[in-house]
Amino acid sequence: MRLNLVLELLDVPGQLLDVLKPMGRLGANIVAVIHQRDVKTDEGRVPVQITIEGDEETLNRVIDDLEESGIQVMEVDGVLRREKITTILVGNIVDQDLKDTVNLLNQLPGVRVADLDLKMSDQPERSATKIVMEAREGLKLDLLNKINEIGALKGFLVINEI
Amino acid sequence: MRSDEVILMKIVILGFGAVGQGVARVISLKREHLLDKYGLQLDIVAVADRSGGAVFDQGLDPELLLKTKNETGKLSQYPDFGVEGFSGLEILDKVEYDCLVEVTPTNIEDGEPALSHMLKALKDGKDVVTSNKGPLALSFTQLSEAAQETGANFKYEASVGGAMPIINLAHDTLAGSDIESVYGILNGTTNYILSRMAKEGSSYEQTLNEARELGIAETDPTQDVDGWDAACKIVILANSVLNLERTLKDVKVEGISQITPEAMALAKKEGYLIKLIGEASQDVLEVSPRLVKEGSPFAVEGTLNVATLKTDLAEDVTVVGKGAGSIETASAILSDLLNIWKAS
Ligand SMILES: NC(=O)c1ccc[n+]([C@@H]2O[C@H](COP(=O)([O-])OP(=O)(O)OC[C@H]3O[C@@H](n4cnc5c(N)ncnc54)[C@H](OP(=O)(O)O)[C@@H]3O)[C@@H](O)[C@H]2O)c1
Repeated sequence: MRLNLVLELLDVPGQLLDVLKPMGRLGANIVAVIHQRDVKTDEGRVPVQITIEGDEETLNRVIDDLEESGIQVMEVDGVLRREKITTILVGNIVDQDLKDTVNLLNQLPGVRVADLDLKMSDQPERSATKIVMEAREGLKLDLLNKINEIGALKGFLVINEI
Repeated sequence: MRSDEVILMKIVILGFGAVGQGVARVISLKREHLLDKYGLQLDIVAVADRSGGAVFDQGLDPELLLKTKNETGKLSQYPDFGVEGFSGLEILDKVEYDCLVEVTPTNIEDGEPALSHMLKALKDGKDVVTSNKGPLALSFTQLSEAAQETGANFKYEASVGGAMPIINLAHDTLAGSDIESVYGILNGTTNYILSRMAKEGSSYEQTLNEARELGIAETDPTQDVDGWDAACKIVILANSVLNLERTLKDVKVEGISQITPEAMALAKKEGYLIKLIGEASQDVLEVSPRLVKEGSPFAVEGTLNVATLKTDLAEDVTVVGKGAGSIETASAILSDLLNIWKAS
């Protein structure tokens, strides 16, 4: 069977090769690679389309392997693998808090902080930060719980999506 | 065509403020229509405010009740039938009636005096229609058990979302579907404030003052802005729509006073608005500021209310409507009265 993957890669030399090599090693045939370096996501990543061929077990192993090594698998056969989750924190947020928070979130398996925005106020306790995360299907509830936990710990108001 | 048989429903109205007066006005406005269409005559046999009441078993004149209240501030001044110091409980004890319309102020400490009024009526086998959130949010189970014991009707469409149909929608129109969760914008004052903040980039304090000047926020807006009004409503929905036995103390409540223009601006940049949302399901019971997509059904402005029922068969059903207002809220009370009549 064949599988169409959409990955998002960092725009640095050698990235594509690093992705393709293990695929071959696991026994999948690489049928096509579409790589447009001039198209970029908001976060400066490059989307790459790869078509691979092999038996179901091999193809599953390839996807697991990609995700385990931290590669962003966005779509598998047209189905989105990642959910975008946006949250806003309000409170006296300093740089250190932000770094801590991002680290805590990035430590969760299958979660990646994709975008950050901070708006400081003259009154420090009124500052706000926006965090956009990408999480693997099914992780959303855990992630929201984690964010609420961090908010409670640091005394931030947490505004999640409905 | 007028039905041959006229059915008489004798009503006691306790509380004669915005909603109580709205009910009197609506009964007066729809008198002919109700007679023609349903053969139903609604007679107001007693009304009370804090001054006392007016009682007449042949039916008081709604227009004269409104005039008396407007001119003197006291129902006890009603010509010939006004009684000073007649309490709600005394009225329920002495007057012969079919249905109590309980519209005294909401009390979220102990539900009184409304809780005693409703329990007395239900225990006496009288139907109760109310817009009063306090007793329902604190003692829902006690009230519905009291109704079950005597077989009296207990209806409260107006208590959640004013004129926005939600409770009867869930019970009757969506009968057969399982409702898994419900969430909504259940407080008009906070929705007004948040909508203005999103539009004008103004601060919370500034916008609250503006809402006060326009009479949209009360002088003491605590129950609205701290989320307690919405919390009462989500508890009522949890009990009545999801059949969960919950009370006000089970709700996790966060208000809107910490929302800043900075947070609003960040949300907008990402295509979101910040709204105060009540949510109830098997695992969740909370009121908190949340992000909703611009352009979605939840992106309503002004004092509007919205709610979504998540069901197994019909998927999502969303309703929008006026969450408050004298006549608007009275319309929901009238629909409850008619439903009681239809079921009888
Ligand atoms: N306003 C709305 O749009 C709206 C919408 C949905 C639900 N509700 C709910 O409906 C209820 C009524 O609201 P409202 O806006 O009409 O309130 P309101 O304008 O404050 O009127 C309350 C009325 O109750 C009377 N009252 C107070 N204590 C009483 C007692 N012990 N016995 C008899 N009467 C008593 C007051 O008498 P006096 O006139 O002598 O002060 C007044 O007439 C509240 O529970 C509210 O939460 C209101």
